[in-house]
Amino acid sequence: MPWKERYTISDETSLGDRDVRWPDGRRCAVHIVVDLSIAGGMEGIRESDLAGSVAHFAANEGLDRLLAVLAKHGLRATFAVPAVIADLYPRRVAQLIACGHELAANGFRHEDVSALRRDEEKARLDLTTKMLTEISGRRPTGWFSLPRQADPFAGGTISANTMELLIEAGYGYMGNGLADDIPHYWVTDFARRRAMLTLPYYYHFDDQFFCMFPQQGTGLENSDMLFRNWRAELEAQYGRGRFFTMTLHPQHIGWCNRMAGLEDFFSHLARLPDLWNATGAEIARHWTHTYPAHSALKLEDSIWKDYPGSLS
Amino acid sequence: MTDGLAEQVASLKAAAHGYAARIEPIDRLVWPDGRRIAVNLTVDFDAMLLRRLNNEPPMQLAKGEFGGRVGIWRLLEVFQSHAIKATIFTPGRICELYPKALKAAVLDGHELADHMWEHRVPHEPELERDHLLKAIAALERISGRRPVGSRSHHTRQLLRDEGFLYNSHGAPCHGPYYVLDAKGRAVLLELPFHFAIDDAMFFSFAWYASGNAEQRLSDPDRVCDMWWAGFQEQYRQGGYLNICLHPFVSGRALRIVMLDRLIKRMKSLPGVWFATCEQVARHCLDHYPARRGVRQSAGSPAE
Repeated sequence: MPWKERYTISDETSLGDRDVRWPDGRRCAVHIVVDLSIAGGMEGIRESDLAGSVAHFAANEGLDRLLAVLAKHGLRATFAVPAVIADLYPRRVAQLIACGHELAANGFRHEDVSALRRDEEKARLDLTTKMLTEISGRRPTGWFSLPRQADPFAGGTISANTMELLIEAGYGYMGNGLADDIPHYWVTDFARRRAMLTLPYYYHFDDQFFCMFPQQGTGLENSDMLFRNWRAELEAQYGRGRFFTMTLHPQHIGWCNRMAGLEDFFSHLARLPDLWNATGAEIARHWTHTYPAHSALKLEDSIWKDYPGSLS
Repeated sequence: MTDGLAEQVASLKAAAHGYAARIEPIDRLVWPDGRRIAVNLTVDFDAMLLRRLNNEPPMQLAKGEFGGRVGIWRLLEVFQSHAIKATIFTPGRICELYPKALKAAVLDGHELADHMWEHRVPHEPELERDHLLKAIAALERISGRRPVGSRSHHTRQLLRDEGFLYNSHGAPCHGPYYVLDAKGRAVLLELPFHFAIDDAMFFSFAWYASGNAEQRLSDPDRVCDMWWAGFQEQYRQGGYLNICLHPFVSGRALRIVMLDRLIKRMKSLPGVWFATCEQVARHCLDHYPARRGVRQSAGSPAE
């Protein structure tokens, strides 16, 4: 079998710092992702998630404040929205598009799809695309499978079919991958070099894992760590000329002290010249044009062998 | 009422004494050329292999893959910029996944050492030996020489029989020590490492499926301060420090900056010996042999 299978999703080495190019000679890309899911666990958004103070805050004051702060700093974001949330708040969808942000999908009800049959997953994916298209008036080009706060692993869950289904459905990018810190290709078919463009995500830059309140029984408020991580990563990636991404949730970052930290961070960001703040679709367009998979992906033939008594 | 309690005391004592009898610390260890501390930067390069072994989901594997595509190269760059030789503990199978990075590491003068064939030690003795021999062969194909060090649960006698000089696992004491067998003969030198100086414990969320409330989440400033304090304490004592780094963790841009800062701070003090584990092991074996048993290191690396 090809040496990648079941171990790796992409080629052996990433693009070096010097080879990363952004439009108009900009120095570093900044991708802000806002997750509008309110799902507590892997089953996705439930009635009990929505009928509570956290969801109410997220959809109202939290989102208002987040949109205001983004506007104040002239920043644009990609909003990863489950179909049921778009359906619930169509005026919010219109509002964020009017503000220049991008609407992307974040599952049907942001449920774990990893155990679904292919046809079942496809049906949900197609319905999500249809709903978001009808509600927003445009077809989403980005798909996210972001982690939920109570997931056992903080990377997001997909099935063995997800990436291939996204390619078939015509999506332009998958919004959360962990194998690189710049856009990269997730190979679905080694022989045919079929791959899905994937944008980087990292849980160390995701507010929900540092702002655990009011999750019962955890009692962890580590927003100071989150702000230090954002700043350290931004400065390091800016120095390298690569990519910075952060993931925000109105119910987490929108709360008083955390919002102040976000504003501080955005002020710091504004002091760095030549940043390229773009939405997921813009980044994907640039990347597929500058680094098309057929020439950028460096896949090599099998050196991986099967051995008796070993993992295959 | 107290029947059997005396036996419990005896049994507990026997357990503690039994363990202590197997540990022989090296007393009054002095480093070459009057240096005050030996620092081993050790890299556990298992990328996605351990995640795969534990049947973790695709995104976890991708998180590990970062180490092979990106992180290992950045660690090599930092070591190179400080002219530091490190030890890279690598599962044999990683040699098939990331041969280019490992060859680059060898060219830079780093030590390649064993980290098990596929990050596990089989219980069956024959298969265990088979795995170890596969790992040795894989590393030898990359580096041109047999590894002399391991970071594993491999049977120590087996490691010794296969020419290993040291293992780096566990922390019963701060400095290098010998592990003795049941007859009191030294089997293998150990270079201790501690989870408090291990990047994965601070930055790898869901390490071994740990829950979100036990978040392994921190930030570089906090961890750098802790590790710097750890270094200073060992420096005052005149000791040893093993810093354990995973490419998928420390290879992230923000932590490369942290590592660079930590190394600069350590280098600002006189008498810091940045060495490979092999260099430290040979110094111990040559100048502080075990009181009973264990071969000296003189001679060819693969004697």
